[in-house]
Amino acid sequence: MSQTAAHEPAILPPELLAKLDRLELVSRKIFRGRMKGERRSKRKGQSVEFADFRNYVPGDDLRFIDWNLYARLDRLYLKLFLEEEDLHFFAIIDDSMSMDFGAPSKLFAARQIAASLAYIGLCRGDRVRLCRFSDKQSTSPVLRGRTSLNRLINDMHAIVPTRTPSMEETIRRFCLRNTGKGIVVILSDLMDKDGYEAALRMLVAREYDIYLVHILSPEEVKPSIQGDVKLVDCEDGDEREITMSSFLMKRYDQTLRSFIEQARSFCTRRSITYIPTQSDVAIDILVSQYLRTRGLVR
Amino acid sequence: MTWMNTLSGWQWAIFGALPFLVLMLYFLKLRRQVVEVPSTFLWRKTIEDIRVNSLWQRLRRNLLLYLQLLFIALLILACLRPGLFGRERTGERWIFLIDHSASMQATDMEINRLEAAKKIVRGKLATMQSSDVAMVMAFSNVADIKQGFTSDKQRLLTSLDSIKPTHRTTDINDSLRAAAGLANPGRASFDGVNDIAVADALPATLFIASDGGFAANNEFDWGNLHPQYLSIGTSSSDNLALVSCSVDRDSERPDSIEVFGRIYNDSREPVIAPVNLYFNGILVDASRVSVAPKQESGVNFQLSGLREGELKLEIEREDILMLDNVAYTALRPPRQANLLLVTPGNRALETALSTEQVQKMATVLIHPPEYLQTEEYQKYQQTQFLDLMIFDQCAPEAMPDTNTLFIGSLPPMMGWALDEPEGPCFVDDWDKTHPVLQYVELASIRIIEGQKVTVPSGGKDLITGNIGTIFGMAPRGPYQDAVLGFPIVRMNDAGGEPNTDWAIRRSFPVFVHAIVEYLSGGTTLAAASTILPGQPIQLTLTNRYMLFDVQLPDGKRVPIQRGSSGQTIFTQTETPGMYRVFAQGGEQPLEVFCVNLFSQQESKLEPPAELQVGADNVRTSGVEIEKRFEFWRLLALLALGVLLIEWIAFNRRVLI
Repeated sequence: MSQTAAHEPAILPPELLAKLDRLELVSRKIFRGRMKGERRSKRKGQSVEFADFRNYVPGDDLRFIDWNLYARLDRLYLKLFLEEEDLHFFAIIDDSMSMDFGAPSKLFAARQIAASLAYIGLCRGDRVRLCRFSDKQSTSPVLRGRTSLNRLINDMHAIVPTRTPSMEETIRRFCLRNTGKGIVVILSDLMDKDGYEAALRMLVAREYDIYLVHILSPEEVKPSIQGDVKLVDCEDGDEREITMSSFLMKRYDQTLRSFIEQARSFCTRRSITYIPTQSDVAIDILVSQYLRTRGLVR
Repeated sequence: MTWMNTLSGWQWAIFGALPFLVLMLYFLKLRRQVVEVPSTFLWRKTIEDIRVNSLWQRLRRNLLLYLQLLFIALLILACLRPGLFGRERTGERWIFLIDHSASMQATDMEINRLEAAKKIVRGKLATMQSSDVAMVMAFSNVADIKQGFTSDKQRLLTSLDSIKPTHRTTDINDSLRAAAGLANPGRASFDGVNDIAVADALPATLFIASDGGFAANNEFDWGNLHPQYLSIGTSSSDNLALVSCSVDRDSERPDSIEVFGRIYNDSREPVIAPVNLYFNGILVDASRVSVAPKQESGVNFQLSGLREGELKLEIEREDILMLDNVAYTALRPPRQANLLLVTPGNRALETALSTEQVQKMATVLIHPPEYLQTEEYQKYQQTQFLDLMIFDQCAPEAMPDTNTLFIGSLPPMMGWALDEPEGPCFVDDWDKTHPVLQYVELASIRIIEGQKVTVPSGGKDLITGNIGTIFGMAPRGPYQDAVLGFPIVRMNDAGGEPNTDWAIRRSFPVFVHAIVEYLSGGTTLAAASTILPGQPIQLTLTNRYMLFDVQLPDGKRVPIQRGSSGQTIFTQTETPGMYRVFAQGGEQPLEVFCVNLFSQQESKLEPPAELQVGADNVRTSGVEIEKRFEFWRLLALLALGVLLIEWIAFNRRVLI
């Protein structure tokens, strides 16, 4: 099931790049950035777009005093303008062992989606940071501008399935390291036996614009297991003996649907955009149609 | 019907425990296929609630397990051979006796009576159930088991089809004995103990498909056989048959022959029909014969100027059995044996050899003992010209290649021995069954002096007296040697004087005639011998040849080898007609014989209303016996079906 880099198709083929060029990441919130970008900020700044007036207090920049208003009212008012800032885009990729399943693997799909969104961000001058569940000490660099494409792709190729801490631990570390706000896209199969809820709550508390891309492989959606088998968890070695039957198959299907519904419900209640997908869905269709309808890109 | 238990309680318990054992093995079996999955997270959730009542949940809707259990259960049941006691008619075990004698070729029914019988039997077989068994036996004058007891209908039908018509007469006794052997328990007798049954009785219904035509056997005991007679044939038996035909030379005019035939009319009307006589295939005479119903009439032909040839008598009339409208006979080819008598002088013997009967059979050459040293004798030796040599009070240096009789002398070969002369001698006993001594009376003859004869191994003591064996015969390769232990005439200085009074008794020329006939292969009969179809014939063949061919009526030649005794049994006599015996590769027949259906029983074609065999009439018996109805075949079949379904389910994964 695992895909090696040598046999892997290109993560961002040229024709996909051409399509992505025209897209733009959309945030439902206006975030404060660190550099001037192409997006409005909540902060008042020096753009040409008028925002509001406020009373002058000593120390304010005299250049922003509205003199016309002073002439009419004989009072000093400060003219405020909206600030234009850049967008923070975070992609958190689940690189656990469980993601190395499916054809194509879930991890490959996650990398492709993350790379596509990151590229869109780079094209629009957004701050892009790619994070992995397995990141412990080092902090991944911030990418910015089209020139970072090559680095982006190299970083993507460097992602291989590995043993990872729980999702909660991963998000906690992420929140500690990234104080700013922005779009957070989590790409995971949510197969964390400790649960994903605590992790998502933390992100919600930090007021990120959160997107959860739930990736499942076709083999998980419709297992082809037959007969009496012993299932071994590839992450923790947990063993389950089952005898496949139509009854059990139906039960599994119900469990899976229930699991998806729970995730959807949890996300909806917390304004997290839940995007379920399968690893065999073509990336161009996923990004240009599926994510667009979900409002992540436009 | 009541349930029939085949097992004891503990055996039932063991078999009953087997399904549970299978169930346990099903749960405990360790050979699960290991499959690595991304996470058991969902599976764990899936089977969480199932674990609450895991055992029953696992059993729920597991088709493969059910099928396996069902298969095992059916297999066990099949092995137990469950059955029910019931009472059933004995007809469940059938024996079909089908007559395929000559009379069954009568054409008064469809193709012929045999085909009609086969059709009726085929119909009976069609009603057979799977638990029934049947056997098929054909009979004429011998019984032929075509198929032993089987429940396989196809094999029974095939064996039925294999029954071919024969030209033989009918004798049902062999078949009845065979059937009775299967149906009646065998008995063994021990000294001082009553007879005991050695086998269980196996009652059977015996269906006899026949047109009758066989002699009743009043001694036969049906026992457990329940006979049913399937009468074949119609009552309108329009048949005229030749039941006898003979040919002989006219005693007063040796060049004339007389042919006599007897014709039987089986129909209910008087019949007038022409009868033709063919000689070597050419019509030579004809006559018209009138026969009253159910009566016989004779027909007589006289021919002259015929020495040898084949005669065929034929009734020129169409009836339902044409087989008995023809009779064959033949004038034997005149064959003279060559006989050499080497004697210093024996008037009695020479006189006995000069009788008319012996002269008809053989040309007799008489020479003194000095003749044995001549070139002519050596020449005869090489050409095998002689059929018999009689050495009277003398012996050759080496045994000749022919049959020999030594009188008062010892053959020059190992095995034979003569004791010192003793006298007087009396004859105590002689083998009256031997052809040479069959018509000879020796009780009162007196012998002055005789010698005890020691016969080599393989030989026979034919005459024994007070001093031991005085006449014996022994084979020597293809030849026969005989030694008489006393001379007829004793030679002394005064010439010859009688050693026995046998020479003046009637038995002496009879003995000499029999010796010549037996050892030289000669015969005086003008007509060829005739036998019934299928009957073996004993041929006395000349010792000049070892290998012979018998030409059958269809022209095919069958090789035969002359036996050491000069007698050869020939058995391939199924077809009526003329049989010719040739020396192998020869063109001139040495012997002929005929096969004719001379049987009034076969020619009587009106089938009897019921068979009179044994003390009882042949009627269906209503005896009932206990019978076991078994289901194991059905269960085994069901098990096989279940196995098949399981295989399909396993491969297609339809429901699991």
